[in-house]
Order: sequence, then structure tokens, then C-alpha cells
Amino acid sequence: MIMNSPLMIGFLALTFLTCGSAFFMLWTKNVLHAALAMFMTMLGLAGFYVLAFADVMAVSHLMIYVGGVLILILFGIMMTGHRTSKTGETNELFTEQKGKFWAFTIGLTVFFGLSWLMGQQHFYTFADVDQHSKLGQAGLSFMLEYSFPFELTGVFLLIALVGATYIAKNHE
Amino acid sequence: MNEIPLIFFLWVGAFLFATGLSIILIKRNVIFVLMGVELMLNAANLNLIAFSRGDEQNQGLMMGLFVLVIGVCEMSIALAIILQVYRRFKKIDIDQFQSRN
Repeated sequence: MIMNSPLMIGFLALTFLTCGSAFFMLWTKNVLHAALAMFMTMLGLAGFYVLAFADVMAVSHLMIYVGGVLILILFGIMMTGHRTSKTGETNELFTEQKGKFWAFTIGLTVFFGLSWLMGQQHFYTFADVDQHSKLGQAGLSFMLEYSFPFELTGVFLLIALVGATYIAKNHE
Repeated sequence: MNEIPLIFFLWVGAFLFATGLSIILIKRNVIFVLMGVELMLNAANLNLIAFSRGDEQNQGLMMGLFVLVIGVCEMSIALAIILQVYRRFKKIDIDQFQSRN
């Protein structure tokens, strides 16, 4: 009955998007293509958060990952590329791969192991899923019971950003 | 009961985690490895969100939001360090770092 509901069709489409682009990240050797595939993966993950009725998480994930982290990665790729001559054949976007066999073996083992392990368990799930927006609840939780971790995370973020700016400075 | 079963979310999370692990193992570029780490972090985050559906206290959701911020901190610091490594060694391959034993 659940299999042909619109929610399930959306879930399957998002699964194809997310898992396909994640696998493309593994398959490609071009860092820039991998960054674009990571963008698609993050979009799919935001869709999963929407389907799990966590809209706050979906919006913040989109803003932070697509708007922040991906731009940071693109800057990293740009600033660490070799300045090759215009006639040079080498392209530093292409990265080497080594140990394909062990990587695939370990990855497949982890995937099937985790799937088997989770199939064995009987998780306690909540009886009625609240399908309403959790924005107000999340805001209240930030101000009430999670106020100390909230402040701590803010200070941590500030320290991390100042530290990153200092580290990335040209020390000469 | 018009919702997606929990195990589907867990399968997707397991796939993303395994893919991230393979990316970390297979690629020789530090930025690529960092992308694999991000993928694993988000796979774990998806499980937190999937488990917190229907929780009145939203524990998994809040944990996921904090994990998101910590992930951004990690990413910015790591990219700054990569930039310094590139400035010093003109290369960001993993294989270039070898101990002299």
C-alpha cells in the first residue's frame, strides 16, 4: 500500500539522485566534477530531510552545504591547482587512484554489513509521526533546554573561523 | 500510516557511508578525501534525523543541527590547513607525506 504512494515515488527519485551522484563522486577522477556531484548529493539529502518531516534541518542543510561548504571546496580546488603553462598537457584536476580493489571490497563489506545489521534489529519507532513543521519547536528548544550547547557551538564556530583565517594567512 | 519505513532511510545512510569510506580509501587528493569525510558525516546525520521522526522532544533533530555546525568548523579548518600545505610543498597528494624511519 505504501509502495505506490507519491511519498514513496519521491523517495525513490531522491534515492536515485543521491546514491547516483555519490557513486559518481567515487567513480570520477576530476575534482571539479566530484564537487558538482557533491552538490547533487546535498540536494538529495535535503530532500530526504523534507521526507523525514525535518524542514528546519533541510533548509539549514541547503544553506550551509550548498551555499557555504561547496563554495569553500571550490575555492580550495582553485587555490591548490598548479599553474601549468597554456600548452601543458597536465591537468591537476585529475587525481590519482590507488588500491581500487581494497577500497571497493571494504566499501561493499561495510554496506552489506550495515544493511544486514540493521535488518536484524527491531527498532523502537514512534507510533504517530508528527507531520507538521518543527521550526517553532526547534527554536524553543534552542532557547530553553539546549541553550548552553547553542552558545557553546556559536563560540566554537567563531573560534574555528578566526583560527581558519589565521591559518590560511600568508605567514612570511 | 502514510510514511516511509525507517529501514529505507537507514539503507540510504549505509550506502552513503560506504561510498564515503571508499572515496577516502581510493583517492589521493586531500580535497577528495575531505569530500568523503563530509559524505560520511551526512550519512550519520541522516540516521539521526530519520530516528527522530515523531519524537516530541526532537532530540535527533537538535543533535543533527549541532553536528551540521561542527562539520562546517571542521571543513573550514581543514581547507585552511590544506592551503598552507599547498603553499609549503606545492602539492596536496596523500602519498607525498612519508615518514623517515
